[in-house]
Amino acid sequence: MKQNIIVIDYGAGNLWSVLNAIRYLGSQASISGNPEEIRGAECLILPGVGSFRKAMETLQHSNLAQAILEAVQLRGCKILGICLGMQLLGSHGTEDGDTVGLGLIPNRVDKFTDRELSGNKIPHVGFNTVNFAECKGLFSNFSDEADFYFVHSYRMLPENLQARLAICHYGVEFVAAFEKNNICGTQFHPEKSQTNGLMLLDNFLKL
Amino acid sequence: MLSRNFRLQKVGNIQWLQKNYNFSRISFCIDELIILDVSRQERDIPKFCNCIKTLTEGCFIPIAAGGGIRTIEHAKSLLQSGADKVVLNSSIFSNLGLVQQIAQEFGRQSIVASVDAKRSDMGYTIWTNNGNIPQDSFLGNWSSNLANLPIGELYLNSMDRDGTGQGYDFGMLDHLPKSITVPLIIAGGAGKDQHLGEGLSDHRVDAVATAHLFNFVGDGLVKAREKLLSDKYNLPIWDVEFNKFKKLYN
Repeated sequence: MKQNIIVIDYGAGNLWSVLNAIRYLGSQASISGNPEEIRGAECLILPGVGSFRKAMETLQHSNLAQAILEAVQLRGCKILGICLGMQLLGSHGTEDGDTVGLGLIPNRVDKFTDRELSGNKIPHVGFNTVNFAECKGLFSNFSDEADFYFVHSYRMLPENLQARLAICHYGVEFVAAFEKNNICGTQFHPEKSQTNGLMLLDNFLKL
Repeated sequence: MLSRNFRLQKVGNIQWLQKNYNFSRISFCIDELIILDVSRQERDIPKFCNCIKTLTEGCFIPIAAGGGIRTIEHAKSLLQSGADKVVLNSSIFSNLGLVQQIAQEFGRQSIVASVDAKRSDMGYTIWTNNGNIPQDSFLGNWSSNLANLPIGELYLNSMDRDGTGQGYDFGMLDHLPKSITVPLIIAGGAGKDQHLGEGLSDHRVDAVATAHLFNFVGDGLVKAREKLLSDKYNLPIWDVEFNKFKKLYN
């Protein structure tokens, strides 16, 4: 399947690993930080590590935020946000002070609270089990649950998210992944989750 | 490629590694790969980056890389070459500014603090610079500093046990204060699956590391993982096993 896949480069994240995984699946992708190219893409991947505030500032200053919104909202381009990239799709983040996100979904991103953690360590790092509500679309070919690799200290709660959901439990239930029409996100790293991750990426490319 | 951290044995160069040690295959029996540049001579970061790119093609697991990181640019180039985390050792003593800088730029989750400890009369002495320079600090009194560092994980290696295959030194853990809340990886000494199991059974340990030669002998590591899974250790399971997946997509 030929499609114009762009991995968005805004100076945050392990772009090489994402590219590596897409190529392994037999698709071609390019890395770009050019708003024009992103506006015209058919498929976007927004990776990311680091702070919500810094990432949003970079996306705004480089006009990438606007380009992403135009591609996704006006043209229905599909997008997969990975880790911080998924969080950025939300409405607000509280890392380094309250920051407005891309707002493609209405959910907020907050730090795990001490009460939620009840002794669990932060960051939440390592493989953890993800439960799928239904094994369709982004979650095709899985049984009810599968293990994926996480590294994060902030989480998105699933309330009010009208989407096909995958939930992980780490003291509290949080959004591990979602698919809402052309907008998808994974809090875990599919490019770092062995065959489970490759299968999910493949599902995304085939959506 | 060197088979041990401190009493290093050279087992082969990168071509040897690719030929004899299929990282893509082996990555299916580990949860994370740590690649350390332990060259005794001047470090060559661009060369190391290329090494990482080559070695990790076909590996879809988290990768931590380190050895000789002295500037934010070093860290950045490793993180752009397929590494998800950088491993800092000497810098967590001598260059706290760098630790802060990397944490600010890439987040604290991108830093693995590696600490080499060696038993001494007073407890455990910490050694840096490839295990060549003893610090005045002991694990017990210094590790409270560690609690304030912006790091994501702690990789605690026993220099006494490293490469011996005699099992981990859990005595080190008695010296760590409770204020250290980041995930702990224990290293140094694992020589068989039983040792890995002992580590995973200790509530203070979050992950077990091994660089022992048993990785290189036949399918030691594959068998070890199978054994741990059959003993009900909570390790991740990949629905589609590697060979099947290869066929599916290639």
